[in-house]
Amino acid sequence: MDVLTGWWDDFFWGSVVVVQVFFVALILMVLFGLIGAAAKLSDNKVAQKIASGYTIVFRGTPEILVLLLFYFGSAIALTSIAQIFDPEIKYLDIPPFWAGSFAIALIVGSYATETFRGAFLGVDPGQVEAARALGLSNFKTFIYIQVPAMWRLALPPFGNHMLSLIKDTALISVIGLEETVFIAEQAMGTTGKPFTMFILVGAIYLSFSTIITLSVMRMEKYANKHLEVSR
Amino acid sequence: MTPVLESLTLIIESVPQILMGFGLTLQLLFLSGILGLILAILLLLMRISGSAYLSAPAMVYIYVFRGTPILVQIFIIYHGLAQFEAIRESIFWAILREPFGCGVLALTLNTGAYVSEILRGGVLGVERGLLEAGAALGLSKRHRFIHITTPIAVRLAIPAYSNDVISLMKSTALVSTITLLDMMGYARIVYAETYAPYEVFTSLMVIYLLMTWIIQRAFGLFERRMSRHIRQ
Repeated sequence: MDVLTGWWDDFFWGSVVVVQVFFVALILMVLFGLIGAAAKLSDNKVAQKIASGYTIVFRGTPEILVLLLFYFGSAIALTSIAQIFDPEIKYLDIPPFWAGSFAIALIVGSYATETFRGAFLGVDPGQVEAARALGLSNFKTFIYIQVPAMWRLALPPFGNHMLSLIKDTALISVIGLEETVFIAEQAMGTTGKPFTMFILVGAIYLSFSTIITLSVMRMEKYANKHLEVSR
Repeated sequence: MTPVLESLTLIIESVPQILMGFGLTLQLLFLSGILGLILAILLLLMRISGSAYLSAPAMVYIYVFRGTPILVQIFIIYHGLAQFEAIRESIFWAILREPFGCGVLALTLNTGAYVSEILRGGVLGVERGLLEAGAALGLSKRHRFIHITTPIAVRLAIPAYSNDVISLMKSTALVSTITLLDMMGYARIVYAETYAPYEVFTSLMVIYLLMTWIIQRAFGLFERRMSRHIRQ
């Protein structure tokens, strides 16, 4: 453990970055998933086509490729836009934090699209009809009937999506985000103890995964509490 | 040249260069796919053996490998193992010295954990009544497993398994981070030469999408064949 002296704080801040990316990407992922699911379930042919194109592309290409395309692609686009206003500018890029969060949210969002779509379809149509018969508006039906019912169905796969998100965070080190893998690479260079460093990174990610798994289990219990047999 | 024409020439020039890594991507996919499947079957047998001494280590293994990023696993094996002199002097060093060996090992260990869970889902999905019928007919436990559980579990596991083969294919792109020149590795070289991310990476994207489609089709056909007794 002596080799880690002096590196603890770096790994701590690296873990903080992981958590930050996770939450930013989580919000975006839910957003992309809901938009994608809404498009797939809509009657609009164009929206359906775009949404299925989205899921096919992002579920069928490697995460690291999406990440690099997004990061370097956005840098080129941003630079050329900036040069219109100021020809002096040589290079501009989106910070790896935002480019990375956006990219992994897009990837996992494509999986979430299918999850949400399936969950909305899994809601008993009788419940929606009952809500209509009771005079609830479309919006109220959505918020009070459909969302709570679909949420129960979506939770278990949604937990897996959160695990994918936290694990994909490690990939963002490739474009220079200073999270734990990035720190370990630096520490490896100066200490010559790569195994110790990367095992520590593994342990950090494993504890994050454990926290997510346990919280999803609690949420599932909460979501299904009305289905428990009373004692 | 107009920008469009320029992009087109770039795409046409970069695709053959990227495809130079196709062989390596395929090798990684097939080698770690097959070795991972063997590992997964071993882990599955350990988990359903009924002995805590066998099932507990398998559960811990699956938990650890599914709970950590594959990139970290690759780095632990590629960078990390060289830290120990015992490993550098062992016979395994011949494999672990090479990035290819490290890549195959990491991908195998990772996919094995995921696939064993998929196979377990298949085994648990086999209807109890069928096994009871087998027992009533006097089949031993082993015979029931081989002749009843296995064929049904395989059929049930195919859709999930094909998804996992696709994620394995996607994971092979990560070996470009340990100096291996698979398609991703070559694409990164071409990008460094041309600074044309859209053309280079989009071409690679199309190649990966085609591979995904082929894998899906192949498993779709396999599933049709395995369930031919159910259709009519």
